Amino acid sequence: MIEVKEITKIYAATGGMLGQKPVKALRGVSLTLADGEAISLIGESGCGKTTLGRIIAGLEASTSGDLVFDGTALSTLSPRERHAKFQQVQLIQQDPYGALNPARPLGEALADPLRLQAKRLGKDASWVQMRAKELLQLVGLDPANTLYKYPHNLSGGQRQRFVIARALTVEPKVLIADEAVSMIDVSLRLGILSLLSDLRSRLGISVVFITHDVAAARYVAPKGMVCVIYRGEIVEYGATDAIIASPIHPYTQALLSAMPVLRGLEEPGPDRYIPAQDLDLRLDDEGGCLFRARCRFATDRCAQEHPPLVTVDEGRRLHSCFYPEARHVVAVPIEGASL
Amino acid sequence: MSAKLTDRSQQDFGLSPEVACQVRDLNVTYRVDGRELSALREVSLDIRQGQITAVIGESGSGKSTLALALMNAVSSPGRIASGRVTYRGLGEVTGMRGEELRRIRGKAISMVFQASQNSMNPLTRIGAQLLDLARSHDLPNPRAVLREAGDLASRMSLDADRVLTSYQHQLSGGMRQRVGIIFGLVLKPEILLMDEPTTALDVLSQSSVLEIVRSIQRERQLTTVLITHDMGVVAELADRVVVLYAGRVVEEASTAELLRHPRHPYTRSLIQAIPRLTGDPGDAKALEGQPPSLASVPNQGCVFRERCPYRMDVCETILPSFRFDGDGEHRFACHYEEARHD
Ligand SMILES: Nc1ncnc2c1ncn2[C@@H]1O[C@H](COP(=O)(O)OP(=O)(O)OP(=O)(O)O)[C@@H](O)[C@H]1O
Ligand SMILES: Nc1ncnc2c1ncn2[C@@H]1O[C@H](COP(=O)(O)OP(=O)(O)OP(=O)(O)O)[C@@H](O)[C@H]1O
Ligand code: SF4
Ligand code: SF4
Ligand SMILES: [Mg+2]
Ligand SMILES: [Mg+2]
Repeated sequence: MIEVKEITKIYAATGGMLGQKPVKALRGVSLTLADGEAISLIGESGCGKTTLGRIIAGLEASTSGDLVFDGTALSTLSPRERHAKFQQVQLIQQDPYGALNPARPLGEALADPLRLQAKRLGKDASWVQMRAKELLQLVGLDPANTLYKYPHNLSGGQRQRFVIARALTVEPKVLIADEAVSMIDVSLRLGILSLLSDLRSRLGISVVFITHDVAAARYVAPKGMVCVIYRGEIVEYGATDAIIASPIHPYTQALLSAMPVLRGLEEPGPDRYIPAQDLDLRLDDEGGCLFRARCRFATDRCAQEHPPLVTVDEGRRLHSCFYPEARHVVAVPIEGASL
Repeated sequence: MSAKLTDRSQQDFGLSPEVACQVRDLNVTYRVDGRELSALREVSLDIRQGQITAVIGESGSGKSTLALALMNAVSSPGRIASGRVTYRGLGEVTGMRGEELRRIRGKAISMVFQASQNSMNPLTRIGAQLLDLARSHDLPNPRAVLREAGDLASRMSLDADRVLTSYQHQLSGGMRQRVGIIFGLVLKPEILLMDEPTTALDVLSQSSVLEIVRSIQRERQLTTVLITHDMGVVAELADRVVVLYAGRVVEEASTAELLRHPRHPYTRSLIQAIPRLTGDPGDAKALEGQPPSLASVPNQGCVFRERCPYRMDVCETILPSFRFDGDGEHRFACHYEEARHD
């Protein structure tokens, strides 16, 4: 089990369009990832999803806060012990094209981490071979047809499968998939999503699925949780189906409203509403609700007080809006129009 | 030169009134390792006046190649091997060269490129690039172009002054994509080609970009070709859809008709593979296999047969010709009889 406790991340000022102000990428995020569970982090570009993923994977240090792995606070460990803990967490990057060295055959790219693993476990070279084949089969690739190839010989979907196989070499307990399907063809997405779902149920691996496409989250874990992040803050949290059917926070409602409607098969949801304004990271909304500049329900109170994250539905749901109201924003299938 | 163009603008070049551009038997090849490989095969279609026509297909199906061919802009190692592309008021463009083409591109026909940042100059401010664009088309009043760009920027909820004085790296992905669309619209083209205008944007930016395109298209009755691999984008925006597979058109219909009654097995699978927000996730089915590469596209029979659940013997050898449905407004290329029903 992984507990994320009050994590903040502040990037020093870099100039450019954000001016000279430091960027508050995460503003005190807490969540719990149980073994074998799936959590989807959703939110628009720049809200801090990747930053949170990288911190959980140990690839980036937080500014404050702590991570607790199976009851052990990482802040109490030596760098070496911490490194060992982070081995349990593997990150699959946003860009499947940048993730592999184009000059190395795929067999080698897989054997490298497997040899280290073999050393750790006291296994021999034949184990490395066997394991490479096993892992490729697990992700739905044909070993005989893959090991001798180079990254450019694979399609986008195959490449993403390969990257997942490589992440599995160290037998992680947690996979963090950062926009694992947004760069590949729609026709191949479903295959990758069900692979992630499969790994979760067959190997008991927990999955942190980072996306701005809530629909994809359902296919990784129909019974999983969704955590909606806005400007570095959790604004809503709950079971995937509940969040989709009755989002409470206006930001969640905006994200879901923005999902394309398959006109002809679906009709827009009755409460669909998309804010006209873009996310403007330069806006200084300190003190009130961070979403207020784009929220059509904002009142004076929202400018003065910061809405705290509160628990509803007997603890199954969290949200941070002064005026919570469930709305039906997602598309409604047209009766009899399915294929 | 301009006199010649004005003359032409009144001519229909044999196109019927509802057609803005007619593509006939278009073949485009790329030369790879000494071999000519076909990226587009016998593509014929009518792009309708004042409508949004979407071209959908997987990566490598030839979408960008088609967009380039529509402007006669396919460059080496590719070439238009044969075929005609005829525009109302402009004429046949595959035979045009040099200055004649340059005048048409950007002015009468304009293109918003895939990953549109690539078409912008990183070293020049956006405003200065717009002035350059105006001058390169010998517009009498380049400042008017800046004004138009400013108006467009405001409509797209951008701070016009800030955008025009920015360099591209100072803009977010969503802003950059909108600036790409401003470039595409600022010279008031008659035809707008957009290659993946929202890929790589998050859902909120995508939805606002789609809304902008929709309202400007309606207002100007702009003939638009929208290239995408995303059926959701098609459903939100397009009037008609052309489905491309391995360089061939396999189906074409109005958007609602295509979504409700897809006839070609590929189109069906494509729609079934969309992750949806509602319904049983188990209803969605992944499309097995992967599309052929240029070198492995079969030269005879149906191009989709390797992945087709309905494949029959005839599919191996005979290229399916188009069959029509719905007053001839819906066409699909498949041998399977039941494709007509259910
Ligand atoms: N190394 C860095 N230095 C400075 N700022 C950074 C750095 N990395 C991220 N940021 C900023 O932190 C914020 C959160 O970025 P992050 O990449 O986590 O967002 P994201 O939700 O993953 O977005 P996307 O959907 O675009 O991937 C953004 O404002 C970003 O500009
Ligand atoms: N310059 C080139 N040289 C050789 N082959 C090319 C070249 N450009 C494109 N191709 C090939 O032509 C085919 C069609 O490419 P095209 O870029 O038109 O596809 P696309 O449908 O736009 O794909 P995507 O969705 O990935 O943008 C592909 O198989 C591609 O590999
Ligand atoms: S607290 Fe106020 S501004 Fe914030 S989401 Fe709720 S209504 Fe909108
Ligand atoms: S022609 Fe044959 S192989 Fe091709 S789509 Fe139709 S049934 Fe399938
Ligand atoms: Mg990210
Ligand atoms: Mg393309």
